[in-house]
Amino acid sequence: MTAPLEVRGLTKRFGHVLAVDDLSFTVEPGRVTGFLGPNGAGKTTTLRMLLGLVTPTQGSALVNGVPYRSLPDPTATVGAVLEASGVHPARTARNHLRAVATVSGIGMARIDEVLGLVGLADAADRAAGGFSLGMRQRLELARALLGDPVILILDEPANGLDPQGIAWLRDFLRHFASEGKVVLVSSHLLAEASQTVDDVVILSGGRLAAQGTLESLLEQGSKKEVLVRTPDRARLLEVLAAAGMPATAEGDLVAVADATAEAVGPVMAAERIVVHEMTSSAESLEDLFFTLTEGQEFQSPTGPPLAGPPPPEGQP
Amino acid sequence: MTRLIRSELLKIRTVWSTWVLAGVVVLTTSGFGLLIAYAPRRRALRDLLVPSGSPRWFDGVFRPMGIAQTLALVVGVLIVTGEYRHKTVTPTLLAEPRRGRVTAAKLVVAATAGLTLGVITAVSGLGLGYLLVATGHGTAGIMLTEYRLVLPGDLGAAVLFALYGVGLGALLKSQVPALVSGLTFTIVVEPIVTGVLPTVGEYMPGQAAMALLGSAARSGGFGGGGSLQLLPWWGGVLVLLAYGVVLSVAGSLTTLRSDVT
Ligand SMILES: Nc1ncnc2c1ncn2[C@@H]1O[C@H](COP(=O)(O)OP(=O)(O)O)[C@@H](O)[C@H]1O
Ligand SMILES: [Mg+2]
Repeated sequence: MTAPLEVRGLTKRFGHVLAVDDLSFTVEPGRVTGFLGPNGAGKTTTLRMLLGLVTPTQGSALVNGVPYRSLPDPTATVGAVLEASGVHPARTARNHLRAVATVSGIGMARIDEVLGLVGLADAADRAAGGFSLGMRQRLELARALLGDPVILILDEPANGLDPQGIAWLRDFLRHFASEGKVVLVSSHLLAEASQTVDDVVILSGGRLAAQGTLESLLEQGSKKEVLVRTPDRARLLEVLAAAGMPATAEGDLVAVADATAEAVGPVMAAERIVVHEMTSSAESLEDLFFTLTEGQEFQSPTGPPLAGPPPPEGQP
Repeated sequence: MTRLIRSELLKIRTVWSTWVLAGVVVLTTSGFGLLIAYAPRRRALRDLLVPSGSPRWFDGVFRPMGIAQTLALVVGVLIVTGEYRHKTVTPTLLAEPRRGRVTAAKLVVAATAGLTLGVITAVSGLGLGYLLVATGHGTAGIMLTEYRLVLPGDLGAAVLFALYGVGLGALLKSQVPALVSGLTFTIVVEPIVTGVLPTVGEYMPGQAAMALLGSAARSGGFGGGGSLQLLPWWGGVLVLLAYGVVLSVAGSLTTLRSDVT
């Protein structure tokens, strides 16, 4: 069986810059695959090669076993939103979509449908020049969805979206994948992506750094840690020491090194310690990503550095 | 292919630059129409425009199709380079990854736009002229009486200039360089070359367009001096077509392999 997306020995050189270096991976249906790596790792270039926009120097990037350019009906097969994918400022949202719908023989009713889906129904007849970055992202997502594709490729889709937008996108992608469809979504923010993806393909300096399920990646985590926020810090430290789990106070948190929530939870419950928040492994995930990608900078041009807040409770 | 052409038509109808260009055509040609009607009676104005006081000066001034052709070139360039400038080339090529077909559709649409600009010019410029003459506000120059003879050639030239614009755009991709080189060539380089080397000049876009006017141009009634060295009308068509098609094919060939990043 051919994988819906397959990259084999893919290499791209821009003059002296080796943007993608002998990269191979496949993406499976029914799962959300995160395509991760710091800025400049080669994510966008790889996605553009998959979509026939950039010609590989070597190797192949195939959709359903064929190059994108050979797909009989690309819009109904792949929906893609790329970084620097543009909308003409003078064109209304509806007309932006009509241009694509016309090429692909898609009815006008579908335009209203996708505009409604991404929450732009009210802005349908406004010129896109007045749109915020987030609204343009939504419009481009609507454009990608026009042909009701079975494969969705999104390049840094969280850029410009507000927290509600990001949460909405996460649910949308999960739902899309749950229908047995394919989702490949790139991000330079691991913390953000870790809440959405099932599988990861991690890129560093154009090369594959790691590939597998997010879980298996977390298992490999070099340093496991549980953070507990409690009004009873002193007592928790005692209790944990007694239970053979060395812990340290860090600000208003207690950090338990080399431990899991499954191990720490029962100890606290037995001692009836009030817990306000407990998170695990957040640090190790960041550390691991950092190690895998060889300590490259994670500065995002728009957001804070990657070492942001830990994910909410109950999430690994 | 029909769908692709319809999509490209939709795209140029939905940006303001197209309508600005159409507006420019209407304003300038009506402006010239008014000049024709009134200038001969206003000695000072006539002397200002044509110091030599040539009796047939207004025939030369009133060649509105020159404007149509220049703006057709601009439309052709914008149809291609606008996609790169606004990065809409990505959605365009995602929907139709076969780039040669996209360029072909753009050529068809540019031709349509060129023809439309030509028709608007004829209607607004000549229509106003006729109106003024009919209401006794002006004199009918050679322009108004003989223009019907050269109209097909001028419309054809507008169409071909639009194709030439698409070719330039496809080759250069960047809007400002494509516009500047296209306009500089027609407005500055070509007249110089034509003046110095008329045999080379014949093959330049503007002179080729002039050839389309046929005997009317050769007689010197249009565009000044009777000493013009021009190709036969079909030669003009071929030369202009070659500019459009050769540049488009060259542009498409480089585009076919070039990276859209
Ligand atoms: N058109 C281009 N010309 C030259 N270098 C490029 C071009 N596009 C990307 N690069 C370079 O290739 C590398 C990978 O870029 P990119 O694929 O955009 O990374 P990412 O999307 O992971 O941030 C970077 O070093 C970038 O500067
Ligand atoms: Mg990128």
